[in-house]
Amino acid sequence: MSYKSNYIVGSIPLDKLKPKKVRKNIELTLWERLYIPEIVRGMYITTRHFIINMIGFVFPPEGKKRKIFTVYYPEEKLTIHVAYRGRPVLVQREDGKEKCVACGLCERICPALAISIVGGERENKERYPVTYTLDMSRCVYCGLCEEVCPHEAIVMSDEYIGLAEYDRKNMIYPKEKLLVPVARLKNRIEYVREIYGKANYMD
Amino acid sequence: MIADLIEAIAKILFVFGVNMGFFAPILGWVERKQSAVMQDRVGANRADIFGFTLIGLLHPLSDTIKLITKEDFIPAGANKLFHTLAPFISLTPALITFAVVPFGGQYEIFGRRINLVVADLDVGILFVFAFASLATYGTVLAGWSSNNNWSFLGGLRAAAQMLSYEVAMGLSIIGIIMVYGSLKLTEIGAMQTDFFKWGIFLQPIGFILFLTCAIAENKRAPFDIPEAETEIVAGYFTEYSSMKFIMFWMGEFLEMVTISGIITTLFLGAWHLPFISDERLLSLFGFAGPNGSIIMLMMANIATFFGKIIFMIWFQMTIRWTLPRFRYDQIMKLGWKIMLPISLINIFITGLVVLLK
Repeated sequence: MSYKSNYIVGSIPLDKLKPKKVRKNIELTLWERLYIPEIVRGMYITTRHFIINMIGFVFPPEGKKRKIFTVYYPEEKLTIHVAYRGRPVLVQREDGKEKCVACGLCERICPALAISIVGGERENKERYPVTYTLDMSRCVYCGLCEEVCPHEAIVMSDEYIGLAEYDRKNMIYPKEKLLVPVARLKNRIEYVREIYGKANYMD
Repeated sequence: MIADLIEAIAKILFVFGVNMGFFAPILGWVERKQSAVMQDRVGANRADIFGFTLIGLLHPLSDTIKLITKEDFIPAGANKLFHTLAPFISLTPALITFAVVPFGGQYEIFGRRINLVVADLDVGILFVFAFASLATYGTVLAGWSSNNNWSFLGGLRAAAQMLSYEVAMGLSIIGIIMVYGSLKLTEIGAMQTDFFKWGIFLQPIGFILFLTCAIAENKRAPFDIPEAETEIVAGYFTEYSSMKFIMFWMGEFLEMVTISGIITTLFLGAWHLPFISDERLLSLFGFAGPNGSIIMLMMANIATFFGKIIFMIWFQMTIRWTLPRFRYDQIMKLGWKIMLPISLINIFITGLVVLLK
């Protein structure tokens, strides 16, 4: 599966993360009350971090720019995991028409009442949404619409940039703004099938 | 006569330029960047000119521009004269103290004897203490004249702390004066030619005491209760803005440089390299002729001195970003009940050793 990856916390591999022993008694020993050795110990730790990080800046490890994990956000971006819930989008079929059948389940389940649909019928008796409006100023990115959709017509994408606006009117997204070709959403649809068990009844 | 004048002005300009032109602006960047690297962060790196960030080196520049263009605010009810005077009083001592710190030895170039110190006073180290205690006034006046409770508390704390540590600091240095038998910083520096005759080996306890007291005098963490951010906003400079605000910071950084200079002179062998004597360096530079080799030796000594200063600044920054702040009563206890007796014992033992030798 493409969405599976070995995630690590910070730069420490998962198998090395062990709970540390906590010393409960706060009574200081004589060695600690001398204070100087403890200062030296603390400075050894900070200096070690300093030197390791300095070396990491000058001679970065293989395939990275530095040892420090921080992402310089606008220049560098994290690769988004497929489980990430970005803005909801409507799936556009290969023939350019929307996959949605305007059943209204997402409109029903939306906890923030962000979705409003007006349904209609094509000449071949196929149902489609005449308008599909998503109020992004209300959307809470919960993903319930995606979970409830019987037709895989609305999924959460990985887009999170440029969603903020100065005017609230600009945050009401019409159908044209929501449609995204199915080819770009393949990973997410696959993932949705996996986690919501839709593989059983879909074609 | 004119040559003397030119020499004096050149030395003053050199010391002033290095302090105000190099250390004062760059230490703000060093503090931010070093703390970041120590804490696995990246630190300041956003300010740029045409996309060049120069690892954050432009931040001091942008900070200065920002602070100059900001409003210089004096709160209602503040004593205007003292409120304006306080930052100057806390910045000047740090600069003046450097006048007696020798940044090189004595050299004979083109038949002229050059002593690399701005003012070679006989009372050198006493002069340092006299002006270091003047810095207290700046802090206390700033806290008192601001008409602000937090500032007032900060000023009170600063007064108590700085006066307490002045005592232990003065006593901690007596040992080194007894060992070298001089108050002149140039003489003390000149005596530390051999690596094992450095002050840190003759007076290890004195070194620790002096370093601790110096950090306490400078009001930096772990002794920064006068400006404890978590308790009293920013302490004595809560009500300061614009350039007056940055003058306190510059005073703090320059005091750090001065402390490093004094520690280097007293304990870390001044301008001497370890294991390599000046004569050996002179013979190494022999290819440049008699005068050229002496000039090169002078350069090497100045570089050694400032290298040691930079090391000491790094050391103080490491202490500042390693240790948490003391509580007020802990500071007083440490100053009066621990530092003072230890420095007295140190004087006693040093006296015994000097007497019996």
